[in-house]
Amino acid sequence: MDNNNIIEVKDLRINIKIDEGTLTAVRGVNFEIRKGETLGLVGESGCGKSLTSKAILGINEKKCKAEGEIWFEADELGRVDLLTLNPRGKEIRSVRGKQISMIFQEPMVAFSPMYTIGNQINEATLLHITKDKKKAKEISLEVMRKVGIANAEKRYDQYPHEFSGGMLQRALIAMALVCNPKLLIADEPTTALDVTIQAQILELMKSLQKDFGMSILFITHDLGTVARMCDRVAVMYLGKIVESAPAVEIYKNPQHPYTQGLIGSVHKIGTKNQERLFSIEGTVPLALNLPAGCGFYDRCHKRIEGVCNVYDPSLVDIGEDHKIACFACTGCPNAPKNQEVTDK
Amino acid sequence: MSESKKILDVQNIHMRFNSKGICVRAVTDVSFTVNEGETIGIVGESGCGKTTLGRCIVRAYEPSEGTVLYTAANGEVIDFLRIDKKTMKEYRKEIQMIFQDPYSSLDPRMTVLDIIKEPILANYPKMPKAEVEKKVMDIAAKVGLNTTYLKRYPHAFSGGQRQRIGIARALVLNPRVIVCDEAVSALDVSIQAQVINLLHDLQKEFNLTYLFISHDLSVVEYISDKVGVMYLGKLVEYAPTKALFSKPLHPYTESLLSAVPVADPTVQNERIPLEGEIPNPANPPTGCYFHTRCRYCTETCKQEAPAYVELEPDHFVACHRARELKLRGFSYDE
Repeated sequence: MDNNNIIEVKDLRINIKIDEGTLTAVRGVNFEIRKGETLGLVGESGCGKSLTSKAILGINEKKCKAEGEIWFEADELGRVDLLTLNPRGKEIRSVRGKQISMIFQEPMVAFSPMYTIGNQINEATLLHITKDKKKAKEISLEVMRKVGIANAEKRYDQYPHEFSGGMLQRALIAMALVCNPKLLIADEPTTALDVTIQAQILELMKSLQKDFGMSILFITHDLGTVARMCDRVAVMYLGKIVESAPAVEIYKNPQHPYTQGLIGSVHKIGTKNQERLFSIEGTVPLALNLPAGCGFYDRCHKRIEGVCNVYDPSLVDIGEDHKIACFACTGCPNAPKNQEVTDK
Repeated sequence: MSESKKILDVQNIHMRFNSKGICVRAVTDVSFTVNEGETIGIVGESGCGKTTLGRCIVRAYEPSEGTVLYTAANGEVIDFLRIDKKTMKEYRKEIQMIFQDPYSSLDPRMTVLDIIKEPILANYPKMPKAEVEKKVMDIAAKVGLNTTYLKRYPHAFSGGQRQRIGIARALVLNPRVIVCDEAVSALDVSIQAQVINLLHDLQKEFNLTYLFISHDLSVVEYISDKVGVMYLGKLVEYAPTKALFSKPLHPYTESLLSAVPVADPTVQNERIPLEGEIPNPANPPTGCYFHTRCRYCTETCKQEAPAYVELEPDHFVACHRARELKLRGFSYDE
């Protein structure tokens, strides 16, 4: 493991048992996050983004079976593969919520309506930092002020329904940051918010990242927020990363047809109105009994018959820090050496 | 668009909700006109009254005051809000609505066929069965639904497909005006693009007029000919799209535009922060509603409500200082 990396995910596979069979929701995902950087994980709903992030914390449902390796530089445990830890054990609990924490999608749902905000932020503090309730309250109040909650003392004793959406998202961020994590996983943190509030929250996260020196895994389907937040971007499709590159590169020079489609289907204000938006035909298929070959084959406008529906492309370097899994772009080897032939 | 005729003339709409002695002004004095074949975008933060306005116009709510003059297909001009229930039924066929959430706006116990058929059965109960079926099939094919699946229930369809069902339902009566309330907001970007393209094609084919309500400014900029910006129930600015985005005249529009995330990391537009939150519509501020959050606020703004005037041709704004301020928008490349 590279010393600059805070986490390395290697060949992560997640299978879900459902009535109709086994869903291969994540199919061999590799990525790493460097210290202090923000990695954007982009893709449409159902592509496995959330499952991947939850696998890091070991909070997926029981029916989801994860294989592979997730190496993390933990404080007490040293270098550890998080997947080998018992998801209900003591070790993962010393990591979860403390060294790696998560901001969930909908702030209204993420909080329990039965407890005060202060009470819920305290939970992590009391578990990980101090047993002293007074001290815990002080710590919580400090974090609440840091995330820009005015009148923190009064807000501390209020219930979630007394907060607006933007304020609640701030409280959620406070809860995630209270233990000073090394890695913050933000799962669509601003999707439910208005543009003005969204801009506030993104700026807040950026400035907090500087203060706390943490890394962020930023999960979203919104390419606009990614452009604003991320250093590097990994694009996921049907349980696989199909392209990864620095953010500037991916917007300037997208290579994979799926990435191009995603970027093309978002209209940029100020550009001349083209007659039609570029759109990717069809929808994301269900990851059940997937055919051989590239998962994007059916929707791809660059597909090569006889290659793309036979072999499954793997990530190949095509430039500085720019990787892509596509035969149409990297050339199609007739007898691929390092691609496994998935014939059945 | 020069020779197109007025289809909707919305005048001084007010919508007040009374509950427990508290009066919430959801929409206050909104006026604008819409020409046939145009797309009007309505933007604003949640709680600003966009949806209420849309519902007032289709008369799903009974507005407290105001008129909506509608030029019907036969050339007659009627006040949509004053006509009685019976006549309204005649004209409502021509004004339809597409709803926000494709998951909750379709009855899970009805097959897709029945859902699309329902407006016909309600309005033309005597139409022969075969003709109804044919109409449904035609419209379903038009919006890109696989007609062999129409006997299925909504849960068997994906989000984008469901939105198409909602569009088919709105189109089946051959309307002239469609109010799209956040019609693409719940969809993934690639599906969003498909649906927007579909709406675009249908507009060209049937010469439809859209009222497109959304909080997503880049979608609105793409699809609309004119855009209205709402704040706390009031229309603060209304202008042709390009004029509004490149040269906003209202400070609220300016900060709204600056908050839009642009899908390009090299563009780091400086955001003009809006301090605080939207005031309570039950107890709106005095003077200009926006003065509590406006960085150009003066004493006059705190006391007098600004008039809604046509400052430039087709460019309406409600701001005391609109004439003197130089506000920042997007720069367009030609």
